[in-house]
Amino acid sequence: MEIATLFDFALDTVIFVVGVTAVLASLGVILCSSPIYSALYLIGHMICLALLFLLYNAEFLAVVQIIVYAGAVMILFLFIIALLGGKKEVQENTFHRAMAFGFVFILLGELYLSATVGPTQQIRGEIPAELFGTAKAIGLELFSKHIVAFELASGLLLVAAVGVICLAKFSFVPLRRRAR
Amino acid sequence: MFASSWLILLFPLLGFIGLSWYGNRISRNLVGLVGCGTIGASFFMTLVTLSNLLFLPPEERVGHVQTLYQWVSAGSFKLDVAILVDPLSVFMFLIVTGVGFVIHVYSVGYMHDDPEYSRFFAYLNLFIFSMLVLVAAADFFFLIVGWALVGLASYLLIGFWREKTSAVLAARKAFVMNVIGDVGMVIAALVIFETFGTLNFADVFASAPGMFRPNDDSMLLITLLLLVGAFAKSAQLPLHTWLPDAMEGPTPVSALIHAATMVTAGVYLVARCHVLYELAPYTMYFIAGVGIITAIFAGSMAMVQYDIKRVIAYSTMSQLGYMFLAMGIGVYSLGMFHLMTHAFFKALLFMAAGSVIHSLDGEQDLRKMGGLQSVMPLTHATFLIGALALAGIPLTSGYFSKEAIILSSYHADMGNIVFWAIAVLTAGMTAVYISRGYLFTFFGRLRSPAAHPHESPMIMIIPLLVLAVLALLGGVLGPWVDSFLAPVFGHVAYHPHDNALESIALVVGIGGIATAGLLYMVSKERLDLFKEALAPLYDLLFHKYYVDEIYDYLIVRPTKAIGAFLEQKAEREGLDFTVDQVGLQIKEVSHGISLWQSGKVRSYALNMIVGVVTILLFVVFM
Amino acid sequence: MGQEFVLLVSASIFCVGTVGFIIRKNPLIMFMSIELMLNSVNFLLVAYSSFLNSLDGQIFALFIITVAAAEVVVGLAIILTIFRTRHEMDVDHIDVLKG
Repeated sequence: MEIATLFDFALDTVIFVVGVTAVLASLGVILCSSPIYSALYLIGHMICLALLFLLYNAEFLAVVQIIVYAGAVMILFLFIIALLGGKKEVQENTFHRAMAFGFVFILLGELYLSATVGPTQQIRGEIPAELFGTAKAIGLELFSKHIVAFELASGLLLVAAVGVICLAKFSFVPLRRRAR
Repeated sequence: MFASSWLILLFPLLGFIGLSWYGNRISRNLVGLVGCGTIGASFFMTLVTLSNLLFLPPEERVGHVQTLYQWVSAGSFKLDVAILVDPLSVFMFLIVTGVGFVIHVYSVGYMHDDPEYSRFFAYLNLFIFSMLVLVAAADFFFLIVGWALVGLASYLLIGFWREKTSAVLAARKAFVMNVIGDVGMVIAALVIFETFGTLNFADVFASAPGMFRPNDDSMLLITLLLLVGAFAKSAQLPLHTWLPDAMEGPTPVSALIHAATMVTAGVYLVARCHVLYELAPYTMYFIAGVGIITAIFAGSMAMVQYDIKRVIAYSTMSQLGYMFLAMGIGVYSLGMFHLMTHAFFKALLFMAAGSVIHSLDGEQDLRKMGGLQSVMPLTHATFLIGALALAGIPLTSGYFSKEAIILSSYHADMGNIVFWAIAVLTAGMTAVYISRGYLFTFFGRLRSPAAHPHESPMIMIIPLLVLAVLALLGGVLGPWVDSFLAPVFGHVAYHPHDNALESIALVVGIGGIATAGLLYMVSKERLDLFKEALAPLYDLLFHKYYVDEIYDYLIVRPTKAIGAFLEQKAEREGLDFTVDQVGLQIKEVSHGISLWQSGKVRSYALNMIVGVVTILLFVVFM
Repeated sequence: MGQEFVLLVSASIFCVGTVGFIIRKNPLIMFMSIELMLNSVNFLLVAYSSFLNSLDGQIFALFIITVAAAEVVVGLAIILTIFRTRHEMDVDHIDVLKG
């Protein structure tokens, strides 16, 4: 058995296992009754996805996923859960659940079927193979082809920050202090 | 050469427009001056046109059409705004503007105290204009335009005193019956257009004899339809009930419209379309029959009426019957001559009666009049002249015209003894009722001293005198009228001389006067005895043969019931309900749909998913 | 492993996220389901950028992460504002805009 095919086989196996784990973790997110457990499952799901990114030659993105998504965003989530409360939830409304499951099942099927519509156009990039997925390559692309979107995204982050501060201020500081 | 004839129509139109615009802002005297002046100017232009016409030799006097402009030119159909100047139309111009002018002057005095003075003269001018359009029309289209306008003017003038409910109802009745006539006329015009392809008088009358045999179906249809209009306008049976009620209007209106001009429009129509009528002898018999029956019908009713204006109104109906008899027999110019003399003495009678009414402060009941011969000498004299002319006493104008018709009813080609007998009987009734009216009004003791009757002002008396002279001496115009109108009718009417029949008619006339004198002058007990003896007949006559009641029962009530039923069922429950439901159902449906907006995020999400799934279905499988 | 596997996994995670959004009442868990959906798309993009040898997919995924971060921040602030004073975390009780 050649090393290349053995490597390929191993790669495929790992990809398969990690993918299945990701799906199972996502199921765990929605099925837990306690929000804390759901958040933990989501963190696990994100780590699986980061692994998958790595396996598909996207190192930079994998690290970004861990640091930003799993690191910052999920920690924020955990803080909020701790603040607001994660009581165990009692599920009513079986009609909604039945409808949801039904439709989503159909959606799944359709999404899969739509993949058989036909091959997409081959977009061939000019990145040399060893640079693919590195920070350098992504940086080169980001700051040349997608510069406008990059600037807009930064603006978006700024707006979000300001907005949160406004929201927070309105709920805490009473305005009556002015009339003195 | 007759271009100036347009001014005849223009002056009253300008008078109407000017008076209705500015009438309230100018002084009364100016209003009267303008109102009468326009008609006077029209009369002057009529004389000018007449003299122009007389310059031409008789054969060339017919068929002058003065076109203002070409209005419709659609394929083979042409319609011009034009007037027809020929002896018949000029004859009618003379009567309309001449008698009209006299009555306008009279109205200055009669309506002097009325607050709506200028409106009255505006309407009068409108009427004169409409009547002139009618008689000047060169085709059926403008004839009908004038026809309808005259009906409108009649409505406006009958209902002139708007606060009087009876006047308004009478105006409505007159208008409704006129509209029935209008419908007949319009259908006739449509049939004429379909048959001949044109509405022009000249073209239709020229081509008719060549296209149809006598008594052809289409000829009968056209002439009968035209008759519907003529009978409605001239108050012949069965469309006559509006005329007595039309006396609710002011007396000058009754004199002008319901004696001299509008009601003669029907007679004019038959005269103008005589070519068509000659092709339908059955219709001509029909006209003569209806005419003479109306004459005796109206004459019998006039004998028992108590309102002086109603007596004269029935008299008008009766005399129109004579005119239609003449038309039906075929002696057209005799009928037109009687039209002229009738205009003179009937307008005179109305105006004299108006003078009496005016001096008695609005009293119209004969039983409350009396003894006025010394108080109002001039009115008395003119009324007497008019009465004698109406009764057909020898040497008055009425004698010449009525006698000619009565004689012709026996001697003409289409006359027969039945017509003659009824005509003579009606003449007797005429003498009775007009003598009765005269005696009640002017003889005996003064039954209304409280009103201080006095002679009317000169502005009202002079028109009376003018018409009295015409009524007295107008008889001499007979032969001239015959020869003047001959080119239009194609022949000079034959004046028979039959001494036997003439003397019979004379005896009947004088007998009528004597009867009236015996009944009404001698003693009241004799009168009451007479009335009791003929009580059922008296009731029938007094209630106008119950025609109004019959119409009410057969026509008015069913129509009102149908109207009420439709209003309730079709209108309210049907259409209104449906339209309302459109709005209401939309509201209901939207209310139902709005329940879908539950405000809950999760159900909104579910809706979104459903939508995405459906769209993807299309993407995947199509 | 090929494209079918990627598609299947991505579609499955997306559907799981959708179901989660619809059937859970707790707003925080609904938010996490949204994150699941975004993640699934990210995975698809990255995988395809690898198959097609173009970096556009990864850059797009980067932007998605950025926007998701901003969105989470603002969304959590709103949830905090609404649910701070209540004693239950039930999204079905926020129905003032109904009708």
